[in-house]
Amino acid sequence: MTESSAPTEQNDVSVTRRLEEEGEIAADYLEELLDIADLDGDIDIDVDHGRAAVEIVAEAGSERALRRLVGTEGEVLDAVQELTRLAVQTKTGERSRLMLDIAGYRAARRAELTEVAKKAVAEVRSSGEAVALEPMNPFERKVVHDVVAESGLVSDSDGVEPARHVVIKPA
Amino acid sequence: MLADALEHLVRGIVDHPDDVQVSARSLRRGELLEVRVHPEDLGRVIGRSGRTARALRTVVNAMSPDGSVRVDVVDVDRR
Repeated sequence: MTESSAPTEQNDVSVTRRLEEEGEIAADYLEELLDIADLDGDIDIDVDHGRAAVEIVAEAGSERALRRLVGTEGEVLDAVQELTRLAVQTKTGERSRLMLDIAGYRAARRAELTEVAKKAVAEVRSSGEAVALEPMNPFERKVVHDVVAESGLVSDSDGVEPARHVVIKPA
Repeated sequence: MLADALEHLVRGIVDHPDDVQVSARSLRRGELLEVRVHPEDLGRVIGRSGRTARALRTVVNAMSPDGSVRVDVVDVDRR
């Protein structure tokens, strides 16, 4: 999904509109799921880093109930996200890379992983040797790769799911 | 509620939503939800290496208040 030429302004506008449409389709799909399950939650739609970003935001007192849709390690959230992407694809005819968060789970996980990645970067810098991290899902690996790239070191993903993990190497 | 949730989840990801039927049966070891879809939608609902069917099971089980629920996907021609 790399773009070879700089997007024109008009292109930008149409991309944003398409991503907003993705968010709206996703919101409809999720809202009805919440209704059926009798769960309270507001749905926020945004565009972030070239993707539609949708979040089910907990209302006062609904956080614990929404946690069921996250799962102990975010596995339910990943499943809901996968189905939501398919629902979008069914309506638009195009693959969606939409990101879903529920009750702030990914936001908190991102903050946690950023710390883990920064520590590992410092370790690689001081030892001059590669460091392999714990297995992570695609979202988690992306967070780590971004932190490493920003620090100027290099990283790869190694191994096969569910053992796939990030290896950080000296630049 | 679970059957309704599953029906909604499946209807949103197929080309023939009106052909989606979910029936619930009680088995000795818990509840079984059987999803019937149009033959053309079967691949979509199962997904590559069963990925989509697995996602449906994960979400339905997370929403189940008591115990595990089995989810089977079959096409409408099969009885």
